[in-house]
Amino acid sequence: MTDGDACSLCDALARARSGDAAAFTTLVRRHQRAVYSLALRMLSDRGKAEDLAQEVFIRLHRKLALVQSETHLLFWLRQVTSRLAIDRLRREPRYEQVPLPEDLPLAAESSSGDPLLQQQLRALIAQLPAAARAVVLLRYQEDLDPSEIAQVLEMPVNTVKSHLKRSLERLREQLTGEAAVPAPRTDDAPL
Amino acid sequence: MSDDLEKQLREALRHVDPPPGFAARVSARTQSEQRHRWLAARHRWVPATLAASVLLSLLVAYGWQLRHEREQGLAARQQLIEALRLTGEKLDLAYRGVQDASKPTVPPDTGDT
Repeated sequence: MTDGDACSLCDALARARSGDAAAFTTLVRRHQRAVYSLALRMLSDRGKAEDLAQEVFIRLHRKLALVQSETHLLFWLRQVTSRLAIDRLRREPRYEQVPLPEDLPLAAESSSGDPLLQQQLRALIAQLPAAARAVVLLRYQEDLDPSEIAQVLEMPVNTVKSHLKRSLERLREQLTGEAAVPAPRTDDAPL
Repeated sequence: MSDDLEKQLREALRHVDPPPGFAARVSARTQSEQRHRWLAARHRWVPATLAASVLLSLLVAYGWQLRHEREQGLAARQQLIEALRLTGEKLDLAYRGVQDASKPTVPPDTGDT
């Protein structure tokens, strides 16, 4: 993001706070990918992910007056998305047992890695417990460091590090032990 | 291996686009919610007015009831006074009648003395 973009977003935030609907839509467009991706990878369901992402932005609209800056906005969005997703996963435990989706690479985005491995990784992440999944997503999808993740999820840094360590071990074990990985389904759209 | 796994994770967890029209749907929902909030704020006085009207009606009805009962009481009192007055008159008449009847009858003067 250039300085000009950052300024335009600060301006959009200020205008959105004063009730400008178009400015709020600008904010939504700017952050929709991050919020939706986090919701999608947490819930493993496109419909529920969109519903959750919409709810996050509706809440943002109500709380705009409390958002002080673009950085604060991003922090707020990640925190609310993670919390809502974890709450939903805990309320509806069936989310925990998601089948492995057939996760085709996105045509629009080039990938330097192994698409099959990435697809397998996404499926394995979807099987992690809710809090561990949130930690892994905030670390590798949002590129936050453990202390930032601890702030977003309001948990001790050591717990974050422990979640990361155990999740990586689990992923590594499951990737190396083929028998532990169930066969992917072929009828689901990519996540 | 760890670095490679982390690199693969970053690759696997790239952001994806939401379904088309997502921002428009959010915008429609926020505008709808804003309208509801505006209407709720605008009509916030309606329940208070209704409650005040009901309370006022009850007070008026209670006042009317008290007044009606007092008027009925006054009318009953008037009727009782009238009844007592009539009864008194009748008793007076009856008393006079009894007194008249018990008076010794004076024989007609024959002029013998």
